[in-house]
Amino acid sequence: MSLNRRDLLKAAGAAGALNLVWPLSPGLSPARAREAAEALGAAYDPAPFTLGVASGDPVPDGVLLWTRLAPEPLAAEQPLPEVVEVGWVVAEDRELRRVVARGTAPASATLGHSVHVPVSGLAAGRVHWYAFTALGKTSRTGRTRTAPVGPVPRVRFAAANCQAFHDGYYAAHRGIAREDVDFVVHLGDYIYEHGPVGGDHVRDHDTPAVLTLADYRRRHALYKGDPALREAHAAHPWFLTWDDHEVVNDYSGTGGGAPFLQRRAAAYQAWYEHQPHRDASATTALPDPEIHRVRRWGDLLELTVLDLRSYRSAQNLPDGTILGAAQKSWLKGTIDRAPDSWHVWANSIMLSQLRGRPGGPYMFTDQWDGFLAERKEVLGQVRTSGLEDLVVITGDWHSAFVDDIRTDFDDPSSPLVGTEFTAHSVTSGGYSADWNATNGPVMGRANPHLKYFEGNRYGYDVYEATPERFSAHMRVIGDRRDPVSPVSTLTTFHVDRGRTGSHEDPATKNSPAQYRRD
Amino acid sequence: MNLVVNGDAESGPGGTAAPVGSVTGWRMVQGAPALVAYALGGGYPTTADPGPAQRGSRFFSGGDSPRTALLQDIALPAAGPTGRDAVDAGRVRYAVAAWLGGYAAQEDGARLSVEFRDGRGTPVALSVLGPVTAAERRSRTGLVERTAGALLPPGARTARVLLVLTRTGGGTSNDGYADGISLTLSPVAAGSTASGSAPIFTTTGVRA
Repeated sequence: MSLNRRDLLKAAGAAGALNLVWPLSPGLSPARAREAAEALGAAYDPAPFTLGVASGDPVPDGVLLWTRLAPEPLAAEQPLPEVVEVGWVVAEDRELRRVVARGTAPASATLGHSVHVPVSGLAAGRVHWYAFTALGKTSRTGRTRTAPVGPVPRVRFAAANCQAFHDGYYAAHRGIAREDVDFVVHLGDYIYEHGPVGGDHVRDHDTPAVLTLADYRRRHALYKGDPALREAHAAHPWFLTWDDHEVVNDYSGTGGGAPFLQRRAAAYQAWYEHQPHRDASATTALPDPEIHRVRRWGDLLELTVLDLRSYRSAQNLPDGTILGAAQKSWLKGTIDRAPDSWHVWANSIMLSQLRGRPGGPYMFTDQWDGFLAERKEVLGQVRTSGLEDLVVITGDWHSAFVDDIRTDFDDPSSPLVGTEFTAHSVTSGGYSADWNATNGPVMGRANPHLKYFEGNRYGYDVYEATPERFSAHMRVIGDRRDPVSPVSTLTTFHVDRGRTGSHEDPATKNSPAQYRRD
Repeated sequence: MNLVVNGDAESGPGGTAAPVGSVTGWRMVQGAPALVAYALGGGYPTTADPGPAQRGSRFFSGGDSPRTALLQDIALPAAGPTGRDAVDAGRVRYAVAAWLGGYAAQEDGARLSVEFRDGRGTPVALSVLGPVTAAERRSRTGLVERTAGALLPPGARTARVLLVLTRTGGGTSNDGYADGISLTLSPVAAGSTASGSAPIFTTTGVRA
């Protein structure tokens, strides 16, 4: 009997919950599981490029191209030779006629038949198109862009975070794919590691908690079964960091025992295999990819990508670290050497202090609130070095915040050194509307640096920087249960060059929010 | 031929539980290992504990750092039956092996990984061994063998070997242990490769 959407939905109705049949994989072969997933709305690309194409880490003369061969995306073993030759081409036009670079790369089963191609020799500040070939097939065509050099009048980029598969469709990524942006930053929680959640969800995880390399590969492949995610990858180059759920909730990268470190290595390897990540460390190697890096978008913007998971200690230690000693030293050096430009930190988890009630404890010490001495040291370095025009973009919270960054959050008169924008999540559930309505004002009273809170919506941020102004546009979708839910702009905040602190655009200042200071 | 230099911890300073300042053949990128003698005793693995049959006199341990990492970059042979032409024809397999272990029921561990890179430093293959858990050692002090192997992807030119020894919980001693680390290449007879891939690869991009 073949599976079809009508039967599945009928079964779902009988079961009372759609998740019980999504994607009907327990006991099914990978091929049948895929068939079931597709019947419920997933739409993998044609084999072997089922998971699509992507580009990442754009620099002035090149970009990293990615794909993974997975004819059966949910299978532990792919029906492929041990090594497959993959061709790639980069062109100046969408039809791939004006070819500027081409080559081949091997896709090894040891890396999940993924390929990562660092293309160089490209013209700076240009749009390029690319595609792969393998086994007589050609992938979809992706679009990418190299970083510009010199004076740049404008840069626009999107930031996404927290995309729990079971919490909704990726209408936000559909929106990102359609944005006129130069690049995308993903701030982490790209996958979630746990098993099915049950309840009233549009879809669900198909396997128990993931533990092994095969498990994590399958989970990444499941997430890439949402066509909007693949569309967003194919539309723009991405920069990536990660948070905890790429491995397991609230983990610390150090101090774990051998069973955890087996799991972490599997998760890290699978993450690498599924992302357009350029790995080129002098001091490490896979399966420990090096994520932190600094990139420049002409003279206009310096992007500092932080890794707040790999090297962190336990929380709430007097000498605890969220960066690790080497990354902290590197970041402080980056601060000292920073050029005159906008400085954007891609920061997976909230930097600003957040108390749940006036005088009360910190809400979550998994964020920088659990690493007080290091936060003080880093922000002190920002202050003493004279770094200006700092904007921190953050994920993790499943709600939108705007914070002033002060060197001492408990002292409202302490120096203001930057602005933090915490973006809505793509899908991952936030608190209830009642909780937000009650606690938004409470958090506002408890945190004098907090300027704005909105927790009832989902989406992403689009940031636009010119030499004079940095603007954060909060894009929100109407309904996570609708894969083509329209996108609108909830509000916009601005930071003016040379002046610390943000202000909300008057045109959207009356938009819904559970707290705004002004 | 084993391409790993001093994969058996027999060369250079060591012999006690004290961390060393350098390790022959390896770059210390984090922490500092101790190259402990099997004869040292004091709870460390001895010749009577599980480990390599031909184990020499010493093994790697993590010293007193919570994480100790050693790195070795290996240039693959340029010529011969496992040289570049054979690699690019898809006719060379690699095999990596290591004895990895720990102390009693503790979860200190050792992980050995080999990342193969092309001429531009891009990873093209990866094998990860361990870390071996206490359960896998049956909560017995000692080392157990882990192996992996695969077809060497065309274009592979170097191998980065990374040995990571980790401590868990309190205490000072990092009891991740390793010995007998090896990386070998072997030619695959023409026509017998499992790759099914094109015989010649051009792995670097070119301007069109």
